[in-house]
Amino acid sequence: MKLADIWGDYVPALLAGMVTNFEISIIALLLGLVIGFPFAALRFYGGRLSIAFSATVISLMRAAPTFVVMFFLLNVLRDVSVFGVKLAMSGVMTVAVSLVPYSAAYTADAGVEALRQWQRGSHLGALLFLPNITRAFFVIVMASGAAAAIGVPEGISVMVRESALLPTLGDRLVVFAVGIVLFGVPLQLGLALMRYLQRALGRRMVAS
Amino acid sequence: MRLLWGRMVLAFAGLLATLAAARAETPDEALEALLKEARQQCAQPSDRLEKILCGKPMRVGVRDYYPLFGMREGTTHVGYEPDIARTIAQRLGVEIEFTRVNAATRIPMLGEDRIDLVLATMGHTTQRDGQVRFIRPHYYQSETALVGPKALRIGDWNDVATRTICVAVGNVSNAQMVSHNTRLMLFDEAGVLPDRLKDETCTLAAQDDSFFAFYFTDPAFANRFEQKFGFAQVPWGMGVARTGSDKLARALDLLSQIYHRDGTFLQIALKHRIRTVFLEDQQRVWQRPDCNTAQGSTNTACVLPPLNLELKPTSFAGSVNAFEDWIEKRFGVDITLPMLKTESAFSLFLNGMANSLILIAGALTATFVFAIVFGFSLGSDSRLVRWLAWGITMTLQSSPIVLTLVIAAAFAHALLPYSASVALAASILALGLTNGSNAGQAVSEAVISLHHEGGEKGMPLFVHALGRSATSIVAFLVNAAKGTPAASFIGAPELLGALTDVSSFSSGRATIYCLVLIFYTIVVMIVVWACGWLRAWLEGRQVAA
Repeated sequence: MKLADIWGDYVPALLAGMVTNFEISIIALLLGLVIGFPFAALRFYGGRLSIAFSATVISLMRAAPTFVVMFFLLNVLRDVSVFGVKLAMSGVMTVAVSLVPYSAAYTADAGVEALRQWQRGSHLGALLFLPNITRAFFVIVMASGAAAAIGVPEGISVMVRESALLPTLGDRLVVFAVGIVLFGVPLQLGLALMRYLQRALGRRMVAS
Repeated sequence: MRLLWGRMVLAFAGLLATLAAARAETPDEALEALLKEARQQCAQPSDRLEKILCGKPMRVGVRDYYPLFGMREGTTHVGYEPDIARTIAQRLGVEIEFTRVNAATRIPMLGEDRIDLVLATMGHTTQRDGQVRFIRPHYYQSETALVGPKALRIGDWNDVATRTICVAVGNVSNAQMVSHNTRLMLFDEAGVLPDRLKDETCTLAAQDDSFFAFYFTDPAFANRFEQKFGFAQVPWGMGVARTGSDKLARALDLLSQIYHRDGTFLQIALKHRIRTVFLEDQQRVWQRPDCNTAQGSTNTACVLPPLNLELKPTSFAGSVNAFEDWIEKRFGVDITLPMLKTESAFSLFLNGMANSLILIAGALTATFVFAIVFGFSLGSDSRLVRWLAWGITMTLQSSPIVLTLVIAAAFAHALLPYSASVALAASILALGLTNGSNAGQAVSEAVISLHHEGGEKGMPLFVHALGRSATSIVAFLVNAAKGTPAASFIGAPELLGALTDVSSFSSGRATIYCLVLIFYTIVVMIVVWACGWLRAWLEGRQVAA
């Protein structure tokens, strides 16, 4: 594989595909926050029944594999109508919604901890919710590669497509290595930012 | 002498009789005789041929959106099939009336006597033989064409194993592709496949060659893509109703023979720029003396057999159908369990279930083993070992799990010929490495923290660290179990992949994916429960240490 092909053709296509990964992840995270936080509140403030209910729902969401949920949404929900409106979603939306069980379960877990800290009077402790959600966001970005399995043109599908045209394992590994670097840089930067935020908040908690 | 003359006269008379009989056996003469006889029944026409010849128009069902074969331009039907219908009508000297049909309506419309003849891209299968009287010889033969970029080197099935092929749900050849270890990406409509090839969502697509024929007339498409190979040949037949059309069917049989022999079909095909390999071959067949007879259409040496698509039912398929009916009556829920109805689907289902359990057990074991290996290496006194482990961990953390699976498959495919076991092993390795390296990092952090606290060294310290990082280890074990369905992306024949294959050639997708979701959710919950025990055990060892 020539260097010119990598820079001229492949990298721009991969970066364009990665934009879709981030788009999917933002939608999944926002939906997860909207769904997850009420469950956290229910688990924290609710009575015995509502705690049991929210704990069960969160356990189910945590246990549902993204890949299977994605195929379920793609093949089952498309035939379902609510008040005459078909629930069929675009590929991007299907993947984003399939990541919502994870995102919502994570938000609910982190939310309960944040509410606990807030009640104890540790507002900074509650703010640890933010770096935790940042970590979840990057986990979702990495998981959004599942979209390749249903034909959504995101980063992984660009890599798979490019590698399929190459005859040797060596050439394919170059394609994969570039992909790992491009996915890895924002991930590692994000994780570093999260660690920095956690340390900074930790120091301020100790100081206060 | 008189006797000799007598014998010679007899022999000559016999020869004349034989020649006359032979002449009468040509399809042309048989057709003439049949039409003449039918025209004499105008007082009381019973067969559809008699009705057509006695003044009624010939009602022909054709497609109106099947490029090259049957299209409508304004009020005019154009394409290979409408032109065949016109040629037949012209030969019979009758009016023609076109009616739009599609795959779902063409057979019922014949049965309801709304059309006399179907000429609408209808493949001749053994299943349809019970519903329609097919005209033989067949007027066309299609095959499933595997189409991909010219740059991609694909020669045969061996080059396609583990690759993803985009297909339309319900395509008759999907089951055949599945049997060659390909992965299928399903689309509801074949019409989207060329666009998915163009936008590179699909590297390979499979569909009827008659479907792709139109797209290959576009120079831009033809420059980028080519047919790699074809398979699953299906003869196309005109169809008439099974009752009240015996004479019409016979007339069309004879006409088809004549049109093949004289190259009429071939000429019409050339006019519409469709593939003519089959028609050229058929012309040679129908010019042979043994086929060019009035009985040629029933000669098995001349006509093609229908495609047999019937899948062998399981011994309990009847009970499954009864159960589905009972559920629908009792609860009003329409469920379909295709994985239990045919032997091939049932085999895929059972293997998928077994492979899923193997995959989960393997991924859990590999994750635990790699967690220990990475934990030990990342906390090693040797700087080289530490840096090497750190480099691998960072790389694995930066690679989405689907990409890690693809890389593992690329290595496996380069080193070993494809098999289900190889795909499963590659998946176990990828899932184990990804989750094990993350868990190992947690173990090494525990080692470092315990090291700072002082006291233990060597093995007791490591065991203590395993206990301290038990929560992280368990989290990544659960993650590994949840990640196993992704192995279907590289062709591991687990339950999701197996049932996707089943759904590609049968109905009941909703039920299938509900079952897969329930199966994996239950399995992951069991793993979570079992991991709770593991965590308690590891934490117990920490207390003990």
